[in-house]
Amino acid sequence: MTEDSIEVKNEYDIISARGFGRGIASRLGFGVVDQCRITTAISELARNAVVHGKGGTVTIKTIQNEKKGIEIICKDDGPGIEDIELALKGGYSTVGGLGIGLSGTRRLMDEFHITSGPGKGTTVTIRKWLN
Amino acid sequence: MIGNEKLLEELTGLLEDNADQLKNQWVKEMTEMKLLEKLTPVEIEQQSSAIYDTCVLTIKNGNYDAAKKYAREMAKKGVLEAMTVDQIIMGMLKLRDVYGRFIFSKYQQEVTKLYKVLDIYEPIANRILNIVALAFVQERERVINEQQLAMLELSTPVLQIRDQILVVPLIGTIDSARAAQIVEQLLNSIVDTQASIVIIDITGVPVIDTAVANHLIKTIQASKMLGADTIITGISPANAQTLVSLGVDLSMMTTKGTLRSGMKLADEMLRIEIVEKV
Amino acid sequence: MDIPILKIEDFLIISFQNELSDHDLEELRENVLEHIKKTNAKGLVIDITALGIVDSFMARTLSSISDMAALLGTKTVIVGIQPAVALTLVELGLRIKWKLLTALNLEKGINLLRKSIESEKEIAHD
Repeated sequence: MTEDSIEVKNEYDIISARGFGRGIASRLGFGVVDQCRITTAISELARNAVVHGKGGTVTIKTIQNEKKGIEIICKDDGPGIEDIELALKGGYSTVGGLGIGLSGTRRLMDEFHITSGPGKGTTVTIRKWLN
Repeated sequence: MIGNEKLLEELTGLLEDNADQLKNQWVKEMTEMKLLEKLTPVEIEQQSSAIYDTCVLTIKNGNYDAAKKYAREMAKKGVLEAMTVDQIIMGMLKLRDVYGRFIFSKYQQEVTKLYKVLDIYEPIANRILNIVALAFVQERERVINEQQLAMLELSTPVLQIRDQILVVPLIGTIDSARAAQIVEQLLNSIVDTQASIVIIDITGVPVIDTAVANHLIKTIQASKMLGADTIITGISPANAQTLVSLGVDLSMMTTKGTLRSGMKLADEMLRIEIVEKV
Repeated sequence: MDIPILKIEDFLIISFQNELSDHDLEELRENVLEHIKKTNAKGLVIDITALGIVDSFMARTLSSISDMAALLGTKTVIVGIQPAVALTLVELGLRIKWKLLTALNLEKGINLLRKSIESEKEIAHD
């Protein structure tokens, strides 16, 4: 199991975080479509941290037990989300509006956990398993 | 007191010397149990000799490799020839009994020796049975895995029926795993064939619920992103009713009753393009 | 980063070669609209073949470029969306607008634009 963190403070860090994630996903043996899902999920979370959380860190872990996979933790110390249910509700509306980031990320990954509250910042943990 | 090695030698010697008699006894009992009905007399002779010799050899040298190899071959053949696991296992149990009774009859006068021989014989016999049973289970699993893979690949052909048109006939239940596999295959086919129209025929899909409708909508959307328009054909009256009562938004779907009329529409769409180019 | 905007006949062509920052995209949006006004282009081709990933922000920005171009009377076609990207965008929950033009590659995209502009002319003539 390896673990690496990258700070995301501005939009250029979002690109770095994506490249970093794609490299690890590819080395773990994820296919092209899964690599794209993972990279997109990282991009969504990192952008949330930069835009709403005033910056944060993205940690990427490889899981190599009997089940192999990738775990991504995105943490920021921003104002936090007041209504998580609402933030996750963002559905299938055409382009525009917020919310698609979190709800969409959940759809791209196998596991999705979020802890957040006013003044407590936001931590999102996502996982994708290799089958 | 005789050592175990000596005893083992004595036992295998007895089994070898009485091979014909014991084998015939075994075949006779299996025939009475109707275990060999699907085999010809020649096959019975060959198989029973081979199994008998392999077992004696295994008892003799304590090496199970030959038994494992033979069991694997038997499992492959048995499964293919529709010989049930039950029949083979019963046959092997019978052989154990035949040997067992033979040992009893030989050593019944010397109880201490009998126990010693049984101590040697029983673990080996059990191990052989275990090997045979395991070989069959593994063979079954292998066949099932192979079939599942084949099913997944076969389940949805993407057919190029002419330039620019792909047809995807969906048959059977569409779950998430299959839907994901289908859409990925379709998108790659669009790139490979440069298709601009996709016809998805759902005549063979028994039930269209919200989940299946969502899979279809996703497929249409993803194809459109690659520049291909989709026509859905073969929605049955029952499915149409379900879709409407479920409130599925079909406004962005182009639908036609039959695959035939869908192909006609596709041709018209392409003809317009050709005429415009001229 | 400066993203070149090429002009061929009546069309403007943007072809992304690298990963884009949010800033690049927003700058591009302004540049494109200025170019459209200056050149009076009839069509705009955005080629994203080289993009291995498109997230919801990038998709929104591309869509808004197309909407704004439409207000200026210019049709947009997006070409070269990779299968993996298309699949991911759909799973993300993005729904493509039905009137948005898309094509597999640059050549098909330009043909599609020509056709679409021609058919509008015909309607105008009738």
